[in-house]
Amino acid sequence: FTASLLLGTTLTISSNHWIMAWAGLEINTLAILPMISKSHHPRAIEAATKYFLTQATASALLLFSSMINAWQTGQWDITQLTNPTSCLILTSAIAMKLGLVPFHFWFPEVLQGTPLTTGLLLSTLMKFPPITLLYMTSPSLNPTVLTSMAILSTALGGWMGLNQTQIRKILAFSSISHLGWMTIIISYNPKLTLLNFYLYALMTTATFLTLHTTKASKLSTLMTTWTKAPALNAALLLTLLSLAGLPPLTGFLPKWLIIQELTKQDMA
Amino acid sequence: MAVAVVLLSGAPFHGGCCRHKVFLSLLGPLLSNSKLYSSYRRPGAEPKKKLSWQNADFSFKKSIDHLKTQLSLLTKETQDYLQGPGGHPLSQHVLEQTRVLWQFRSQEDLNKWVISSDVEIGGKSKVYIKLGRNNQAALLYGTLNTEVPRDGETKYSGYCSMRSRPAVGSFNRKKYYDWSNFNSLYLRVRGDGRPWMVNIYTDPYFSHQKDDLYSYFMFTRGGPYWEEIKIPFSKFFFSSRGRVQDNQHPVWLDKASFLTLGLTIGDKVDGPFQLEIDFIGLLNDRAHREEFAYETYDKN
Repeated sequence: FTASLLLGTTLTISSNHWIMAWAGLEINTLAILPMISKSHHPRAIEAATKYFLTQATASALLLFSSMINAWQTGQWDITQLTNPTSCLILTSAIAMKLGLVPFHFWFPEVLQGTPLTTGLLLSTLMKFPPITLLYMTSPSLNPTVLTSMAILSTALGGWMGLNQTQIRKILAFSSISHLGWMTIIISYNPKLTLLNFYLYALMTTATFLTLHTTKASKLSTLMTTWTKAPALNAALLLTLLSLAGLPPLTGFLPKWLIIQELTKQDMA
Repeated sequence: MAVAVVLLSGAPFHGGCCRHKVFLSLLGPLLSNSKLYSSYRRPGAEPKKKLSWQNADFSFKKSIDHLKTQLSLLTKETQDYLQGPGGHPLSQHVLEQTRVLWQFRSQEDLNKWVISSDVEIGGKSKVYIKLGRNNQAALLYGTLNTEVPRDGETKYSGYCSMRSRPAVGSFNRKKYYDWSNFNSLYLRVRGDGRPWMVNIYTDPYFSHQKDDLYSYFMFTRGGPYWEEIKIPFSKFFFSSRGRVQDNQHPVWLDKASFLTLGLTIGDKVDGPFQLEIDFIGLLNDRAHREEFAYETYDKN
């Protein structure tokens, strides 16, 4: 299944035809479903069903958007998405794939129902193809729609993560928030989106793997990990602060550059 | 089915001008109020089933009052959210090892529970609930009767149960609790020596899960002394529609909107029963290290 995931991701990011990109996204969706529902617990089945329904809808919307564009313009090139209706439908499809507000409701529940390693894949690898598609089509997309979704994602990701006691849900809301940061700058400087994504993927990988090692899935368990692995706990502290965007740490860099770019665009 | 075939075969015979008549006759069962299922009513079932819209109360004043109640609940929920998870500070959530869920001190506490028995299928058991002496406990008592109702299809009878009402927040939304800090159910009861079954009905997100139930047994000692029974959640086995499933898994407590915690008696012994319950709560028993008592079917 991991090989299928890599195949799907590679297919999408290396394609310039909409059908190949869509096929890669479908392969990704289908490959990760057995990984989510591996334990056969009702919660895992619920997570897999929710994931499948949202991703299938998003894939259908994506295909629909590309078909409208092909009908209007006569070509299937990803970078030549010119039809306004196609752009709007694609934005909603990508938002659904990524988990941007207002299509974010599935993400915390799905992440809560999955094991930590699969959750890591969901947060990092599964985000890569939609971000790539967003990157390739960013000149054609409506900046207002993207900005409003981004601001809502950043705000709601932060607020809804406040009273959570399950770590996977907290990381899901953190992911939603970071995706908001990535989306807000994509119309102005897409390379910053990619920088933000790579750093976010690195930090999230470190967090998930640490939690997997210490087998901590809720806050009360996390409170006692310092006795079992003090050095790892300290590293986790720094990683989480970096995810939050604290200045001396790496996570501050993309936020600083994004705010700087937004200031240049008279938005911040 | 045969009627539909006859109607459809009759359609081309009568020609296009009569198609709308065929359409109306196909819709006939829907337009009239006749039931499409059997009209046999079980002896314990309600005599007439009102349609849901007939139960609606269109009083304006009541709806305003209801709206005010819901808005005040929503305000309280927002204030609780600002305080911390579950309305308590985070330190309490992290450090707490016990929590009382239901205690029986007033009629309001009793109203959070629903009693039922095999009368709903035509049986003859009786069950009652009231506050015990000095309003310190709930007394669930009655008589179990295993006589099978003679309706030709019921084979077993004789059960009485007490189930909690689902916890709803503002605007009838489900309330979710995080009970993952606890690993045992803690009940302070005084029984009469009869065995009871404790059932946990978790939130069925999908309709396939609505028959799922986690159960375990509670053996009461009888006698004048109260006993504190601890039932670890790892002991609860999973069943669906009354059948114990092969594929067992533990109860997940992180999204515990336990719609029902139920106590059922069905030990096939005719006669009176009595159970006093002081409180039902949760416990984090550090000595209990078992994750799950039954074999899980872990597929590779």
